[in-house]
Amino acid sequence: MNQQHQFETSQRYLCFGLGAEEFAVPLLTVREVVAMPETTAMPFMPSYFVGIMNLRGMVISVVDLRSKMQIKPKADSENAVVIVEDGGLTVGVVVDSVNSVLNVTEKDFAPNLTDDAAPKGKQSFVTGVCRKEDRLILLLDIVKSLTGDDMSIISRSSGKKAA
Amino acid sequence: MDDFEKEIKQGFLEEATELLSGTEQCFLTLERDPSNKGEIEKLFRLAHNLKGSAKAVGFDELGAFTHELETFLLKFKNGTFELTAASVTVLLECNDHVNVMVAGLKENLEAKFDSTALIAKIQAYVPDASAAMVASTETPEAAPAAVEGPSAADIAAIEAAAHGGDVPAPVSNVVEMHPAPAAAAHTAPAEDKKPAAKGKPAAAPDEQIRVSLQRVEKLINYVGEMVILQTVLRAQPAVIENGFLRKTVHQLGKVTKEVQDLSMSLRMVPLKQTFQKMQRIVRDTSAALNKPVEIEIIGDHVEVDKTVLEQLGDPLVHLVRNAVDHGIENDQVKRVDAGKDPKGHIWLKAYHQSGFLVIEVKDDGGGLDAQKLRNKAIEKGIITASKVLSDKECHHLIFAPGFSTKTEVTEVSGRGVGMDVVRTNIESMQGEVEIHTELGKGTTFKVILPLTLAIIDGMIVRSDEDRFVIPISHVRESLRPPPGTVKSTKELGEILLLRGESLPLLRLSSLLGRKPKQPKNVDDMIAVVTSVGDRPFSVLVDDIIGQHEVVIKQLGDEIRGIRGFAGTAILGDGRPSLILELSELAKTRGVA
Repeated sequence: MNQQHQFETSQRYLCFGLGAEEFAVPLLTVREVVAMPETTAMPFMPSYFVGIMNLRGMVISVVDLRSKMQIKPKADSENAVVIVEDGGLTVGVVVDSVNSVLNVTEKDFAPNLTDDAAPKGKQSFVTGVCRKEDRLILLLDIVKSLTGDDMSIISRSSGKKAA
Repeated sequence: MDDFEKEIKQGFLEEATELLSGTEQCFLTLERDPSNKGEIEKLFRLAHNLKGSAKAVGFDELGAFTHELETFLLKFKNGTFELTAASVTVLLECNDHVNVMVAGLKENLEAKFDSTALIAKIQAYVPDASAAMVASTETPEAAPAAVEGPSAADIAAIEAAAHGGDVPAPVSNVVEMHPAPAAAAHTAPAEDKKPAAKGKPAAAPDEQIRVSLQRVEKLINYVGEMVILQTVLRAQPAVIENGFLRKTVHQLGKVTKEVQDLSMSLRMVPLKQTFQKMQRIVRDTSAALNKPVEIEIIGDHVEVDKTVLEQLGDPLVHLVRNAVDHGIENDQVKRVDAGKDPKGHIWLKAYHQSGFLVIEVKDDGGGLDAQKLRNKAIEKGIITASKVLSDKECHHLIFAPGFSTKTEVTEVSGRGVGMDVVRTNIESMQGEVEIHTELGKGTTFKVILPLTLAIIDGMIVRSDEDRFVIPISHVRESLRPPPGTVKSTKELGEILLLRGESLPLLRLSSLLGRKPKQPKNVDDMIAVVTSVGDRPFSVLVDDIIGQHEVVIKQLGDEIRGIRGFAGTAILGDGRPSLILELSELAKTRGVA
């Protein structure tokens, strides 16, 4: 987790809003941002799993991290989906708004907020917290957000693939 | 090792695999026709090329061995040695060794190999049967089988031949593209007739390019999207009203369809290589069992989806080996008495039939004896003595796990695993195996497979607002239940009385763990009867929307583990819908 925010030069992140809070993912993992597509619901999935969408012929899972983190969506928001490609997975994340591309350097981090201050288990996919003037931005690990306890699907699927 | 070195080494290995793909066939042709100068010239050139490139990129061991092989081949080329079955066996062994080295290097560029035994053997080789035997006893670990009968090395060779093609496949995962199907129809003998090609080694690759399967799949994805966009465009009022636009869009649709067909055909590869491997299996198995058998191959130009081909190798090996071992009679006198050629014959035939690929493995052996099979199955505890079976059902007993007619386990067969593998693999590809047999005349195994695993014929059904795809091959029939045929029970749920049958009736919405939004009367719904598994059952859907060919898309890794879904398909409006595996769904819901 530490190497995530130990870099000499600045790293670029894409910032987006979920409800009133700001989050970011590494810009290099972002494939593209698309308008909220039509999705098909997937049975047997937790409620934050919105469904599957068609991205120019590719079928991609879409998740709503707001409902996972119990963040109230903005009423007047213009939904978009950020397509993230990381660790062999391609996943769409529903966001309220796409805000900016942010240069983050080491001095922007608030390390004391990341590991110890987090309530137990709850923010396991927040890999860092960074402060830019009066903005507080949580850095997310999307793959981790999908492999949490309530979605132990990866392990099941790898078992099936090996068979 | 720097990247550049790695790259040229990997490049060489790709090239080597391509060069080696035809060598086994050359050796086997030579065995049948030792005077064929063209083949030996070809092999000599190949060995020479391989030696040169291997040394150039720094694979010294491979270079050293191919150098010895080249020297060895030169003696045959000059006529110093004569080609015999025994010498072909040694040459095939060398061929296997080169293949093993190339495959090993592919996995690990630093891999080391011990070729000393084989080098010693070819250096000491004298084309005389007794001398060959001396040579083989000197190097027992790599002894040829032809003189010693069945041995472990022999089986290893068969295994190696069977898996030789499978090892590099996952590494490269590449489809061979043929500019035209006609190019694939070129068989080895046809090329021999062109001695003019002398000195121009391996001219063929110029007309082919190697493309990664991943890129082909991407292309197919985009083309699929194009088809959908074209459909959307055609439905626009502006297009319908404007004659010129309408005509153009219509043309565009035609072209799009062509492009789609073409892109799908890129996944297709000829069966040739897999079939050639079978020749080797027959040769080695028949030598190991000391039973003369000949194989005839028909239709090796037939093309099949790359994924199907990969899964087809193992079942075919088992079927062919089974035909040599069990199909053909052990007693040659018996064959002569029955008016047959003492030499066994096996036919391997491939053809397309009504949208399916059919592969037949036919032998002219003794045929299957239903009564004997039945007795054996009772003896092995696979069925009970009281069970009534038709002849056809008896024949299918050979697919049961643990079933074997052999009393003793030999290297070639007897563990009762092979045929089970055949059935499991074929069924996992949505295919089936038919057995046609006649006592005293022979047996034909008919493997029927879909041409591709990428497209299925699907029935599109609706449950509430959602649409789902059910593979047509899983649907036996669909009907609107006539009034009074659905009985409701507390214990067993709803039961559909269909002609003589009583089938469990499940609602699709509850199978998917949902509550129907607008509960409907059974009379307004449609029951789909599935034909998968031993116990048919029926599923209630709101409506059947249609029947289409759909392209299967895999679900992402994050959700692939959910059982009951074979993947997704993008329907005409561009939205993905799930492809249902009804029996699996019913199983996971604990209702069937």
